[in-house]
Amino acid sequence: MRARPGEASLAHRGVLFLDELPEFHPQVLDSLRQPLETGSITVARANAHIVYPARFQLVAAMNPCRCGGGGDGGTGCRRGPRCARDYQARISGPMLDRIDLQIHVPAVTPADLALPPPVEGTAEAARRVARARDIQTARGYLNAHLPTDILDHVATPDRPGEALLNEAATAHNLTARSYHRVLRVARTIADLEGQEGVRRIHIAEALACRRGLFEATQLSAGVALAAQ
Amino acid sequence: MAARTTSVAFDGAEAGLVDVQVQVAGGQQPIFSVVGLGDKAVTESRERVRAAFAALGLSLPSKRLIVNLAPADRPKEGAHFDLPIAVSVLAEMGILPKDAVEGHLVFGELGADARIRSAPGALPAAVAANAAGLSLICPEACGAEAAWAGGDLAILAPATLIQLINHFKGTQVLARPVPGELLDAGTGPDLAQVRGQEAAKRALEIAAAGHHNLLIRSPQSPDGGAARFRQVDDGRAPAGSPAGAGAGRIAGRLDDPLGRRPARTRPADTDPSLPLAAPLGLDGSNGRRRYAGPAR
Repeated sequence: MRARPGEASLAHRGVLFLDELPEFHPQVLDSLRQPLETGSITVARANAHIVYPARFQLVAAMNPCRCGGGGDGGTGCRRGPRCARDYQARISGPMLDRIDLQIHVPAVTPADLALPPPVEGTAEAARRVARARDIQTARGYLNAHLPTDILDHVATPDRPGEALLNEAATAHNLTARSYHRVLRVARTIADLEGQEGVRRIHIAEALACRRGLFEATQLSAGVALAAQ
Repeated sequence: MAARTTSVAFDGAEAGLVDVQVQVAGGQQPIFSVVGLGDKAVTESRERVRAAFAALGLSLPSKRLIVNLAPADRPKEGAHFDLPIAVSVLAEMGILPKDAVEGHLVFGELGADARIRSAPGALPAAVAANAAGLSLICPEACGAEAAWAGGDLAILAPATLIQLINHFKGTQVLARPVPGELLDAGTGPDLAQVRGQEAAKRALEIAAAGHHNLLIRSPQSPDGGAARFRQVDDGRAPAGSPAGAGAGRIAGRLDDPLGRRPARTRPADTDPSLPLAAPLGLDGSNGRRRYAGPAR
């Protein structure tokens, strides 16, 4: 039995950074689904099962399309929206489902460059992060790993927040997993603010951070309409 | 009467106890054999032990020398069985006290010059020793790593086999190694270098705070692209922030309220030739590192 820990286990309790995510083999990406869910990797062989710890934080980066220019209205892409659609479809739905925060970062505009340098740097952000982590440590779990039964206790949103979440869940066909992941992110946002309860504004920001997923569902809905 | 000591076999990052038993029986032919499903490195340890003994001016008894690694049906791999085999042979030969040797978990590779070389997996071995109530004998180079396992674990970290023998004789007593220095996660580029992009910075902060997964989609451009954010993301978790949990946090993990098993630390290490990079990582590996996807 010659099993060795791979990259996912080496990133245990750290960050696994995958640059150019769609360029990975679909099989490699989908084999990340187990560790993303359970925090461990099982290597099965005929004579033994070996479990490696693999609770990593996945940070991935990608271009909107293969030529790299699409996205902002598809203006930079030579092949039009189809290029972006094909490229983004290389990441499977269940895989995207497991990524809590999906953001689109537009190119820097000249106006941005003309701005004064930001007053806040990494040190300030790290202080807020540390404070939010302290709250979570007292609770016993980091928010990304909260078991659902505890999640129900600590991340129940207020009434307007719940209404918003239910509305979004119906409108975008959120899976149960997505639903819980939105709650987890909302809990984190509330922790960053030092707030006890999860409110509507936290849910709204958490939903906005899953924008990529919604775009994908809208895209597939659009395709379905076009097919009719 | 056979001499015995304890070592470990790794199953993933878990260390299982292995009994190392040595018996010298009669017979005219000098035989030295190791049984118990060892891999090539384990079988070859006979030669390293023989060479190390020769370096000390000792010769193996010219009798049948059987080393049994129990449980016999469990596969064992790695060169760290050299030292436990040598120690129990020394005990069987009457050079080390048998009863003292029995209370130790022994771990380490031997050189032909009787030097004790480091072997991967010292921390899981130390944790296993702690759990089993045994003292630990490990290579000097691994002492600092093993000492992270806890304050009450007795650890001997000799550099050579002769130091170990002298320790048991009482002529050169070894001190307990001190836990290794915690590595600073280092500082990368600073968020303050990024103009605009407030939404992206906010998402990085949320991801860091809650250990959430993050996907950044960004059009290719010389200065606004994903590669730049990759650098910013690496710098986002500076030393002192729990988000910086990585190589430097190993000591904190052992009494970690979040309750995950400790493994061993490795320095921050990225290979730019690989599309995969794990800038902060901890593992229970035996030190080999290949591009392997999630695991192999």
